[in-house]
Amino acid sequence: MNPRARLLLGALLAVLLLLPAFASNYVISVATLILYFAFTGQAWNVMMGFAGQLSLGHSLYVGVGAYVAAAMFVNLGIGPWLGLWVAILVCMALGAAIGFLAFRFGISGVYFALLTIAFAEFTRVGFDHLQWTGGSGGLFLKVAQREQMDLLNFRGPPAMYYYAILALAAGALALCAWLLRSRAGYYWQAIRENEEAAQALGINTFRYKMFAVLISSAMTAVSGVFFAFYYNNLFPEQIFHISRSIEIILGPIIGGIGTLFGPVLGAFVLTVLADGITELLALFGVEVPGVKQVFYGVVLLGVVMFLPNGIWPSLAKKIGVGK
Amino acid sequence: MSQGPGFTRRQFNTALAASGTLAALSPFGIARGQGSKLKVGVLLPRSGFQGFIGQSCQKGADLAPGVIKQLLGVDIELMNADTETNVDTARTRAERLIQEGAHVLVGPFDSGAASAIAQVAEQRGVPFVINIAAAPPITEQGYKFVFRNFPTAIDLTRNGLSLIGDLFRETKVAPRTAVFMHVNDTFGQAMFKGISAMLPGITNLPFKITETISYDPAAKDLTVEVSKAKAANADFLLLVCRLNDAIILRREMVKQRWNPMGIISPGSPGMYEEQFAKVLGKNGDYCISNAPWFNPKMNLTKVVDAAFRKQNPKEQFVFHGTNVAYTFESILIAADAFKRAKSTDPKALADAIRQTNITDRVALGGPIKFNAKGQVEGNLSACVQNLNGRPTVVLPLAAAEAKAVFPMPGYKG
Repeated sequence: MNPRARLLLGALLAVLLLLPAFASNYVISVATLILYFAFTGQAWNVMMGFAGQLSLGHSLYVGVGAYVAAAMFVNLGIGPWLGLWVAILVCMALGAAIGFLAFRFGISGVYFALLTIAFAEFTRVGFDHLQWTGGSGGLFLKVAQREQMDLLNFRGPPAMYYYAILALAAGALALCAWLLRSRAGYYWQAIRENEEAAQALGINTFRYKMFAVLISSAMTAVSGVFFAFYYNNLFPEQIFHISRSIEIILGPIIGGIGTLFGPVLGAFVLTVLADGITELLALFGVEVPGVKQVFYGVVLLGVVMFLPNGIWPSLAKKIGVGK
Repeated sequence: MSQGPGFTRRQFNTALAASGTLAALSPFGIARGQGSKLKVGVLLPRSGFQGFIGQSCQKGADLAPGVIKQLLGVDIELMNADTETNVDTARTRAERLIQEGAHVLVGPFDSGAASAIAQVAEQRGVPFVINIAAAPPITEQGYKFVFRNFPTAIDLTRNGLSLIGDLFRETKVAPRTAVFMHVNDTFGQAMFKGISAMLPGITNLPFKITETISYDPAAKDLTVEVSKAKAANADFLLLVCRLNDAIILRREMVKQRWNPMGIISPGSPGMYEEQFAKVLGKNGDYCISNAPWFNPKMNLTKVVDAAFRKQNPKEQFVFHGTNVAYTFESILIAADAFKRAKSTDPKALADAIRQTNITDRVALGGPIKFNAKGQVEGNLSACVQNLNGRPTVVLPLAAAEAKAVFPMPGYKG
């Protein structure tokens, strides 16, 4: 990372750290959402952006992570800090099962993507019938008016959740930067570019693809736990739905797949501009339901046509920082 | 439940135009303007997969300021927000509305979104009146600022089943067997479980379910399922459906010449919707849905109906009735509380909402009174039968617009 990139990143971090001091609750909630999608997008990016494995069913790990920690909290009184590790382990086991099935039997590309969708879908159906987690009626975490922080149970005011997701997003960025420059990172990129060539060079592609799936699923499980304790209600129909998987991947696609800052930028662009356009229309007294979805479509179209590598690579070049 | 005098349409149109007449009809009496507006944040899923229903609910919100001004003399400013059928958006939009100065929030036709908004409302201490959302835990959380004027899922199922018993008693017909068909999505599964658990405990239902058939709500063909149901030779069809599958299923029944005593839904959408009547014509008649409904006999319903027709001249109130009724009432509750509290202070508003006692209402049920948990307990369902292409209340008798027809014409026994 060059000095200019360090300076910009430091400035951004400083602004984000000071945000709750001067921003309204609305801005904090939007910022929380951006960071949530940045973190989850980063997790997906490990699998697709780094290792080239397209998952369209990442809602599986969000959902399972969320349900495991929330159900342990609601039904067994086990706090989220322990629940988090159980959620990570369960999601890693699921990721391992999917990865093993796919990579052992040579399932790749769109077929791998279909497999990930299938897992998310039948898990949704399973949770619809699992009464321990509330079934289709949903699982609700107890909420009260809280101004005091209860870190042990991860309950508190919006600023607490904001700082938690900021720490997660910053941590994920650092982890991914380190991973990308590690041996595994170089192997992933080799696999992404040409798996057969990578194999011919002696890379154990099965092992490293599994490694990517495990890291990605573990990170996404953390995002699920955050989701559960932030929103306090879970419905299989919503959390496992393919639209949630698509939401997760839109940020990295818009920002730049395989880049470090792409998922963060993509989440920022989509959330802020979508909210901004709604606000702008409201300012002129125009109420158009669904404008956000249309906007998403237009941005996607624009990015695919004019910035096929995402916004970040060309922006990074312009402002003189590395990828 | 009180019933209003039988006013003609012309009288009601006049009444709507004249505030004095309206005030005389209303139990609230003439109110003095309070000098300040009540800002109501309306959160509805006006886009996304619930967009159609959200837009239907919005019609109830849109007519509320005019009607309530006439009724209570309260000025209301609506602040509309689209939740996009997404819990993340519901939460941020709620934050936004509060920041913009909403004194009370209403909405959002979805339990997940309701739960997300409830947290924001509770955290920020702003009253939130839920129009439609049935998940029981929402009002089991010990919230102080969250109120719901809609039956819980348990009440919905119980009301729907007990109306079947009332229907049999009223028509003096006692079917002994039923074939139960239901969609296999989340809603259908939940209804199946609820009905299976409750049915044995309801003593006035003398029938047995001989066959249960689940099917995909997105199915393009239900030939096999209908053949199987017909072969069960049951007296009537107990159906939990959605719109498209209900149309396909009914057409298939006609095709296979299956004429049971009736088609009864204990509490699902589909058969009372406009598209069902439009597509099926006469074949859509006599189908019965037990659902939360508006009370066509109430004075306020007629006023709301008139306002609806004025705002939506090309649409029929009956096809939006439930959505409009409950959304309108949620704003009415807020306005009534504002009038009594004489303040927009959130705590004063919440305290006033807790003391609500509205007897003249649009939705079917007892007075709007909140229990300690913030839940209205007396909301009822109606037995709604399609007659001449129009969903018509046939039970309870106090609200009935026509007599129930059961068995359906064409039933050969």
